[in-house]
Amino acid sequence: MTAVGAAAPRTAPGGRALLGLSGLAGLLVLVELLPRTGIVSDSYLPPTSRILAALADEAATGAFWVAVGDTLTAWAIGLAIAVVAGVGAGVLIGAVPVLRAVTASTVEFLRPIPSVALIPLAVLLYGSDLGSTLLLVVYAAFWQVLVQVLYGVADVDPVADETARSFRFGPWARIRYVLWPTALPYVFTGVRLAASVALVLAVTAELVIGAPGLGAVIAVAQTSNAITTMYALIVVTGLLGVAINLAARYAERHFLAWHQSVRGEAPS
Amino acid sequence: MRRFITGMTVLALVAAGAGCGSSGDSGGGTTDGGVAKVKVGIIPIVDVAPIYLGQKQGFFANRKIDLTMESGQGGAAIVPGVVSGQFQFGFSNITSLLIAQTKNVPVKVVTNGVASTGTAGKDFGGVTVRKDSPITEPADLAGKKIAVNTLKNIGDTTVRESVRKAGGDPSGITFVEMPFANMPAAVENGQVDAAWVVEPSLSAVTAAGGRVVAWNYVDAAPDLTVAAYFASSKLIADDPDLVKRFTEAMNESLAYADAHPDEVREILGSYTKIDPKVREALTLPKWPTEINKPSVETLSKLGAQDGIFGSATPDLAKILP
Amino acid sequence: MIKRLLLVLGLPVVLFVTWYAASANSENFYAPPLRQILAAFVDTWTPERLRADVLPSLARLGAGYLLAALIGIAAGVAIGANPRLRAAAEPVLEFFRAVPPPVLVPVIMLFAGIGNGMKVIVIVSGCVWPVLLNTVEGVRATDGVLADTARAYGLTGAARLRHLLLPSASPQIIAGLRQALSIAIILMVISEMFAASNGLGFTIVQFQRSFAIPEMWSGIILLGLLGFGLSELFRLAERHALAWYHGLRDAQRRS
Repeated sequence: MTAVGAAAPRTAPGGRALLGLSGLAGLLVLVELLPRTGIVSDSYLPPTSRILAALADEAATGAFWVAVGDTLTAWAIGLAIAVVAGVGAGVLIGAVPVLRAVTASTVEFLRPIPSVALIPLAVLLYGSDLGSTLLLVVYAAFWQVLVQVLYGVADVDPVADETARSFRFGPWARIRYVLWPTALPYVFTGVRLAASVALVLAVTAELVIGAPGLGAVIAVAQTSNAITTMYALIVVTGLLGVAINLAARYAERHFLAWHQSVRGEAPS
Repeated sequence: MRRFITGMTVLALVAAGAGCGSSGDSGGGTTDGGVAKVKVGIIPIVDVAPIYLGQKQGFFANRKIDLTMESGQGGAAIVPGVVSGQFQFGFSNITSLLIAQTKNVPVKVVTNGVASTGTAGKDFGGVTVRKDSPITEPADLAGKKIAVNTLKNIGDTTVRESVRKAGGDPSGITFVEMPFANMPAAVENGQVDAAWVVEPSLSAVTAAGGRVVAWNYVDAAPDLTVAAYFASSKLIADDPDLVKRFTEAMNESLAYADAHPDEVREILGSYTKIDPKVREALTLPKWPTEINKPSVETLSKLGAQDGIFGSATPDLAKILP
Repeated sequence: MIKRLLLVLGLPVVLFVTWYAASANSENFYAPPLRQILAAFVDTWTPERLRADVLPSLARLGAGYLLAALIGIAAGVAIGANPRLRAAAEPVLEFFRAVPPPVLVPVIMLFAGIGNGMKVIVIVSGCVWPVLLNTVEGVRATDGVLADTARAYGLTGAARLRHLLLPSASPQIIAGLRQALSIAIILMVISEMFAASNGLGFTIVQFQRSFAIPEMWSGIILLGLLGFGLSELFRLAERHALAWYHGLRDAQRRS
C-alpha cells in the first residue's frame, strides 16, 4: 500500500481484467484442491469440476432460466422502488434540517428491524408470490440508499452552499447544482450496495418463503440433499452479484467521470 | 415527508394485514364452469408426493379444482398464508398444528398428510449415529447432543419417547437445531453425537456408513400420523363444498400413492432434486387416508410432557376433523 | 433541550398512538392489538430472559462487528491503495458478497462447527462488505493534491497511512461502519436461526413457530429498540472520532 494516485502503476484495461480473472482462478483451484486432498470431505464440499458439471446440467434446463428470470425480476423491481424512494426521501430530508431532526429517531428505530422478521407479515399479505419477495427486498434496500444519500447531503461543502446562497440560488437550484453533485458519488455507492443487498434479500426471501426463483430452487436442492446442485446454485447467485456489480461500476464510471474517486483511476 | 410516509408504511402494512384477516376473500376464486382455483402451501419433500401424483392423475381436475402448489419452508411460512386466505389449504406436521390449536390459530385439519410405516428398521425417519459411535441403542442417547430440524416440535418429543421407552433418562439430552441437509455432515464431523434425520438425508447417512439407533416415529406410537392437510376455519365454514371436494381428491391421491410406489418415486423427480439412485432406494412413508387419532393423542401427550404447549393442553376435537 | 426531546420523540409518539388506535379492535391473529403486544413485552422480557437470551446475542454481535470492522478497514486500505490488488481481488470479493448469508450458513457450519464461532463468522461474513467497500472508495478518493503534497514531504508507510489515507477516508469508513451495524443485527438473527439454543433471534423465531404472535411482535420491537440504542452509541462514537471533520465543516460554516 505504498503507491497511490499519480505514481500508481497504470494498469491497462486488459491487464485489469486479467488480474480479476486470476483472482477467480485462484479460488476455483482452491475449491478443487480442498476436497481432492481430503482436507474437506467431498460429499460436503464437492470439487470445482463437479460443481461446474452440475451447473452445466442445471443450465440445460428451462426451469433454471425461469428461476433466474424470476429472481432478476424481483430484484429489478424491488431495487427500482427502493432507489426512487430512498433518493427522494434522502434528498428531501437531508435538505430540510427540521425533517431530519424529526425523523431521525424513527428511522433509527425502523432500520435495524431485520427484514427476516417481516416474513410472517409478507406471507400474510402476499402468500408466496412476487409481492412477498418485493416487500423484503424494498425494505432492506431502501435503508442502504437512504443512509448513503443522507451522508452525501451532509457532505455538502458549506462554502459552496454559501456561495450558491449569495448568488440567490433558489432551494431547487441549490439542490440541483450544489447538493446533488456532492451527493451523487454517495448515491452511487448506495445504489451499488442496495443492488447487492436486494439480490441477497430476493434469494433469501425465495429460500425461506418459497416464492418462485433461484432461492426456491436452492431450498429444493437443500431438502433433496443434492449438495453439488446446491453449491452450483450458490455459485449462480454469486455470479449474478458479480454481474450486477460490474454493471453498477460501469454506470458509476460513466456518470461520475468528473469526480475525484473516478478521475484518479486508469481509464478503461 | 417522504420519510414519514415510509415510516407509516410498516404500520399501514400491519393495518392492511388486520383488514386482510377480517375481510380477506374466502376460498378459491371460482372461474368459468365452476372450476375453483386452489393454492396449497406445501414443503417440497417426499411427504407431499401424493398431491403431485393426484394432480397428474387428474383427481383434482375431476372435482373442478385447479390446483397450484406453493412451496414454503415449514409451517411458520405456510400457516399465516392459510389463515390470511392466500392459500386455501396447507401441509403441516401434527405437533405444529397442536401448538397452533393451543394458541387458538383458526385452522383445522381436513385430511391426513403422511404417516410412519410403523415398522422399525423400515421407516422414513430415525435417529442416526456415526459408524464408530459407542451409541448402539436408544437408551445410550441419554445425555447426548442430538440434532433435530426444529426444536420443541415433533422431532425432539418423539426422540425423547424413544429414549424413555428404552429405559433411558431423556432429561439430559441437548437438542440442537439444524437443517436436515446439514445433519449427515454434522454426524460425520462429530459436531453432534446423533441426528434425527428423515429421507432423503437418512439415505445419505446410511450410505456414509452411519447407523440408525432409534426409530422414534415407530417408538412413539403404532402407525403414527406425522402430518396433515389443513384449512382455515373460515374456509371450512364459508365453502364446505370446496373443502369436501378437496378432501375427496386428496384421499384418492393418498390411496393411489400408497398403492403405486413406483409412480411416487417417479413423480419425486418432478418437484425435488433427489438423486435418481437415492430416489429408487429410499424408504417411502405410508399414506393412509384416515388420521390415526390415538397417535395424535400420543403426540399431544408427549408434547404436554415436554412442555412445548406451555400451560395449555391441545383440544383435539377442535383441530381434527 | 425540550425542543430536542420533542424532535426525537414527536414522530415515534404519533406513530405509536396511530398503531395503538388502529389495532385496538384487530381480530387478525397475526396482527394483534398493540395493547396485547405491550402486555406480552412486559411478561416476556424479564431480567432473567434478557440475561439468558439478549446478552449472548449482544456478545456475538459485538465480536462479529469488531472483527468485521478490523478486517474491513485493514483489507480496504490495502485494496484501495493498490489498484493491482484491487483488480485481482474485486471479482472474488464481489462473488462472496453476493452470496446470500442464509445459504452460506450451512457451508460455514461445515467449517466452523455449530458453536458461537459459527455465528460470529456469519455476522462477519455479511457485515464486512460495507466497511470494506467504503474504505476502498474512501482511500481511492484521496485528494490528489493532498497525496502529491504528502509525497513531496516524503510521507511514506505508517505515517502516510496515519496522516493521509485514514483521515481522508474516515468519513466514508464511518458511513460503512454504520451500515455494517444494521446488517450485523440482521445477521445476528439469521445466524441464530440455525443450530442455536439461545439468543434474541432464536427466541423470536421460536415464538413465530409456536404461534406466540404478541410475543413475536414484542421481540421485533425489542430488536428495534436494540438497534436504536446501538445506533445512538454509534453516533456518540462517531462525533468523537470525526470531531475534526465536523469541526472543519462548522468552521467553514461560521466563516
